[in-house]
Amino acid sequence: MKIDKQNLKYLAELSKIELNEKSEDKLLKDIQAIFDYFEELKEVDTKNIESMSGGTIEKNVFREDEFMGAGTSRKLIDAFPEKENGFLKVPAVFE
Amino acid sequence: MDLKNLTIKKFHNGLANKDFSAFEVTKVFFDYIEEKDREIGAYLRLTKDLALSQANKVDIELAKGKELGILSGAPIAIKDNILIDGEPATAASKILGNYRASYDAAVIEKLKSAGVIFLGKTNMDEFAMGSSTENSAFKITKNPNDLERVPGGSSGGSAAAVASDMCVAALGSDTGGSIRQPAGFCGVVGLKPTYGAVSRYGLIAMASSLDQIGPIAKTVEDAAILFEAIAGKDELDSTSIDYKYKIQDTKYKIQNFTIGLPKEYFAGGLSKEVENGIEEAIKNLKSLKIEFKEISLPHTKYALSCYYIIMPAEVSANMARFDGIRYSRFLNLKSEILNLKDIYLKTRGEGFGEEVKRRIILGTFVLSSGYYDAYYIKAQKVRRLIKEDFDKAFKEVDVILTPVSPTPAFKIGEKTKDPLKMYLEDIFTIPVNLAGLPAISIPVKKYQDELPVGFQLIGKPFHEADILGIGKHYEQLAIKND
Repeated sequence: MKIDKQNLKYLAELSKIELNEKSEDKLLKDIQAIFDYFEELKEVDTKNIESMSGGTIEKNVFREDEFMGAGTSRKLIDAFPEKENGFLKVPAVFE
Repeated sequence: MDLKNLTIKKFHNGLANKDFSAFEVTKVFFDYIEEKDREIGAYLRLTKDLALSQANKVDIELAKGKELGILSGAPIAIKDNILIDGEPATAASKILGNYRASYDAAVIEKLKSAGVIFLGKTNMDEFAMGSSTENSAFKITKNPNDLERVPGGSSGGSAAAVASDMCVAALGSDTGGSIRQPAGFCGVVGLKPTYGAVSRYGLIAMASSLDQIGPIAKTVEDAAILFEAIAGKDELDSTSIDYKYKIQDTKYKIQNFTIGLPKEYFAGGLSKEVENGIEEAIKNLKSLKIEFKEISLPHTKYALSCYYIIMPAEVSANMARFDGIRYSRFLNLKSEILNLKDIYLKTRGEGFGEEVKRRIILGTFVLSSGYYDAYYIKAQKVRRLIKEDFDKAFKEVDVILTPVSPTPAFKIGEKTKDPLKMYLEDIFTIPVNLAGLPAISIPVKKYQDELPVGFQLIGKPFHEADILGIGKHYEQLAIKND
């Protein structure tokens, strides 16, 4: 897999990260080297192997959907950088 | 007071015998840290007010004749990605530079009720991404054994603080080796518990299918004490399991144990120091009547690639929450001036360090349409094969022994230019996280003027007792040989 500057810019856009021009070349080179390393996985036969999404005990955990008390919510709201009437203030999403 | 060799156990005895008060000891620690940490740089911040008021509380209880728990008054350091209510928690990132935690992590809550005193928050690689603590946005931490070298990472501050006696023990977190490798580099003990053994509620998440919190301590016994205190089911971390580790007494039977030596871990690439260290550890363990057997973990070679696909994928998801809107703002951006997207782009572009950005972009790629199956799903399948290798091996042996890292601590700046070189540092610790197993890093011996070398014991899931048990016996052997 070859990554070019165009790919990199697109990925940065998806990641919502502004890249600075100076570090782009180095980032591209490093990411390319890491991708080249991944090539070795192609030689592993994974036919009929179930993918493993992690954890020790792979089963879902459920709980009753009950109100558990406000707990820390007041403190969380207090910690918002900008707030209004107990809500997190954000810029307009639609212009 | 002799802070050198002060363990949780010795501290507890001293406090119980009224040789000192918790308040006095805490002050002695702060005086010492103020001087010593100028050289080491292990702490990002001290939590003096909190610590002294905690110490006071312990002393009052003691005066009232209340029986002391084993951790009462013990002065401990906490990695800066673990939340303490009301204290800053930055995960060594600029993006959280002004953030203050609104609640206690589950492990902090448990340690608070055990009477533990928190001395401060320790330095780390930004968001725990790194193997040398050089990725901290704030400072470099030095290896107490050689100031020109790194302490390892990402829990480098915690390991260095323990190794230089600036706390009796510490908490770290381990996603691919971040407790065990710095413990190895600094000559202390580090335990990565089984996935699910300890709640991560209140740990700033890096890669959620891999992260675990664990102790870094001067002795295996202390690591076991801390582990017992933090393990167990927590409603707020659905991956935590109802499992309670009980400290084994030293009579814990390890005779007739078989330890496996995976040939893939010894296939070359080890430095002379590590090779000699591992040989010595094996010789010592053989004197405990432990049997050794060569085993094979054939997919070991693919663990690094597998990890560097799965981990960044999870990183890219976990880091999405740092958007410049929630938590703190470190850029002075007023929401009226910029649109939402610009706030995201600017905050994340400036707020994250190089390594974090690299991993987010990598993760975004392997999850993106068209590449998801070829990379992410492929890696998850290889992960299954790596885990099955261990399952098979544990039918033949009780515990597996490997090196912790290919070399002892390297020089500051030696590997920062080449990320792949840095990643290869974790080649022996990563498979353990992928398989969710418990593992401990133990120094081969007491080191004076040389760089420490550690060995790793890997156990079956939820068999921390096996690796801690062997470790305790090993430690007693070392004391006898001294």
